[in-house]
Amino acid sequence: MPRVLVIEDDEVTAGEIVAELSVHGMLAEWVSDGRVGLARASTENYDLITLDRMLPGMDGIDVVAALRQQQIDTPVLMISALSEVDERVRGLRAGGDDYLTKPFAPDEMAARVEVLLRRRQPQAEPRLRVADLELDLVRHTAHRKGQLLNLLPTEFRLLEFMMRNSGQVLTRTMIFETVWGFHFDPGTNIIDVHIGRLRRKIDGTGQVPLIRTVRGTGYMLVSAPQSVSV
Amino acid sequence: MSLLHTNAWRSTTSRLILIYGVLFAVWGLILVAVIQWETNRYLNGVIDQMLVQRMHYLAATDAPRLPATVDAASKIDPHGIMSVGLFDSAGHVLAGNVDRIPAELHVDGRAHLLNGGMPRPDRVEGSIRVRAMAMTLPSGQILVLAKDTSTIDGLGAITRRALLWGISLTIIPGLLGGFLLRRGPAQRIRELQLATEPIRQGDLTKRLPVSRRGDELDLLAGIVNTMLGEIERLMNEVKGVCDNIAHDLRTPLTRLRARLYRTQQQLLGQQPEAALVDACMVDIDAVLARFRALLRVSELEDRHRSACFAEVDLARVLREVHEFYAPVAEDREQPFDLDIQPLPPVRADAHLLFEALANLVGNAIKFTPIGGSVQLRASMDRDGPRIDILDSGPGIPADERDAVTRRFYRGDNSRTTPGSGVGLSIVSAIVRLHGYALDIGDAANGARITLYCYPVKPGEVPGTCLARTVSVARHEATT
Repeated sequence: MPRVLVIEDDEVTAGEIVAELSVHGMLAEWVSDGRVGLARASTENYDLITLDRMLPGMDGIDVVAALRQQQIDTPVLMISALSEVDERVRGLRAGGDDYLTKPFAPDEMAARVEVLLRRRQPQAEPRLRVADLELDLVRHTAHRKGQLLNLLPTEFRLLEFMMRNSGQVLTRTMIFETVWGFHFDPGTNIIDVHIGRLRRKIDGTGQVPLIRTVRGTGYMLVSAPQSVSV
Repeated sequence: MSLLHTNAWRSTTSRLILIYGVLFAVWGLILVAVIQWETNRYLNGVIDQMLVQRMHYLAATDAPRLPATVDAASKIDPHGIMSVGLFDSAGHVLAGNVDRIPAELHVDGRAHLLNGGMPRPDRVEGSIRVRAMAMTLPSGQILVLAKDTSTIDGLGAITRRALLWGISLTIIPGLLGGFLLRRGPAQRIRELQLATEPIRQGDLTKRLPVSRRGDELDLLAGIVNTMLGEIERLMNEVKGVCDNIAHDLRTPLTRLRARLYRTQQQLLGQQPEAALVDACMVDIDAVLARFRALLRVSELEDRHRSACFAEVDLARVLREVHEFYAPVAEDREQPFDLDIQPLPPVRADAHLLFEALANLVGNAIKFTPIGGSVQLRASMDRDGPRIDILDSGPGIPADERDAVTRRFYRGDNSRTTPGSGVGLSIVSAIVRLHGYALDIGDAANGARITLYCYPVKPGEVPGTCLARTVSVARHEATT
């Protein structure tokens, strides 16, 4: 069971984070002070830390910077009420691995935590494989059941992101931020349209659907389609 | 209008100096005219007295000796200054240097001015202006006396020349002084004009410069500064209220969404309440999206110069936007063309530019009916690159074009379409941050939004809607 340290001064927000992570099968521990959080993170072994940007005792940026200075590379999800792009850049530069702006949806937060946990595993393989779907990262080709798929560059990047995080729920915001690299709300259903296109290409007629819609949250590329009811 | 190019005569100082100069010249003219008139009157009186004395002297001479006396008197006048003539009652000359009685001279014993002069056979240069007197003697003979007025005329010429010199010596230094005097206030106005430029562009923290002189311009600048302070306070209050509402509401809304989410997870779509909870989730997500968009506008408005500006390849950004929206247009059966002409790089924040263009293209696709068309076009204007988003949709009515860039404004056409109503406000804030200009207009078969990717011209406010219809018409005619 992954252990997550939640450093958050607002009790209600912390309660939400802890509850949501527990639902996702994680063991979450909460501290409300930056200094205490840093001490705990330095001495104990956590799989991930969620870190508020503004904390009593010690600022979130300072906490993550201190951790990195001590060569502790535990993934850090920074959570902040400061949404400015500059703030995001500062948080990531200090050593944060992802940045989430308040107000956030708990499922969005949990999805990001899961992706970060997954990211700890080595990713240097030249080929990705999920069920009968194969992605060659060197040749930039995709095959399903040995059949070549004709993907546009964006679709390739989208599929790569989903395959790297297969079995994880990916929110529309996460997809937009990672695949397109922008940090704003593109609105309407544009990500759904892109997923729909990709879905038509990889989940053609007669194929077992691999892309699953997670109601109200986002999408997931299922790693074992046979066992999932769609 | 720039003061640097203002006609010098349009300055208040110049006009005051000109009016003062004209008044001074007129007054000088009147003064000199009065002096000349008085001098003439006095000198004419002196000449007339001389004529009367001479007339009395000659009239008192014995009649037989008179012709000789007259001849003798005429001989001592080698320069023709004093003329004297004796005529019989029929007007025939008897003696003297005058050969006939001038027709305009009345024989009444009083002095008169003869503009035609006195006819003298001994003068080669002809007649000169004289004052003359004729009198019938007791013997019936007529005695004519005349003295030229060249002295008076000479004095008049001197006075006129003096007037000319006087006026010249006053007007020339006056104009020079005026020019120098005009430069002072013009310089101040230019400083004020420069100071207003950032204010016009939306930076209400700036103030007009006030010198220590405390003159009229300082008084005016002070009044404007007080007004600016009040406007800034009100704007901040309005903005603060908006932002505070968004900040204060988003925490309870986030909690509400979390609870709904938890309920949704527990219901797992089995119970009939699940659909209701799903609908609530959609609504709350829409509210949160609107709050985020509102805070985004605030963030962009507060950001000023902290944006990550760099050389940006516009064509690349446009291709990304096109690629991002092409599937949406395809789903709506709208041909979505991209037409990029060679463009120089621009100084911009690539991410924000993408956001602005994505908003504009997203709107164009959203408001164009299914089966319509959308075009994304980039070309070189006379002053720099321009991006046109053309669609066959209903467009924005002319009277709403300014309002659509305000927060939450939604036009009649958009009321039935989902959206936060903040999209164009975000675009406007980004455009303002870049100092670019936006123009909303009509196209041949629908609507057009143009983004001018170069600094606004003097007098234009960045981020607001302009009306550059002339250049647009020309552009459309050429494409």
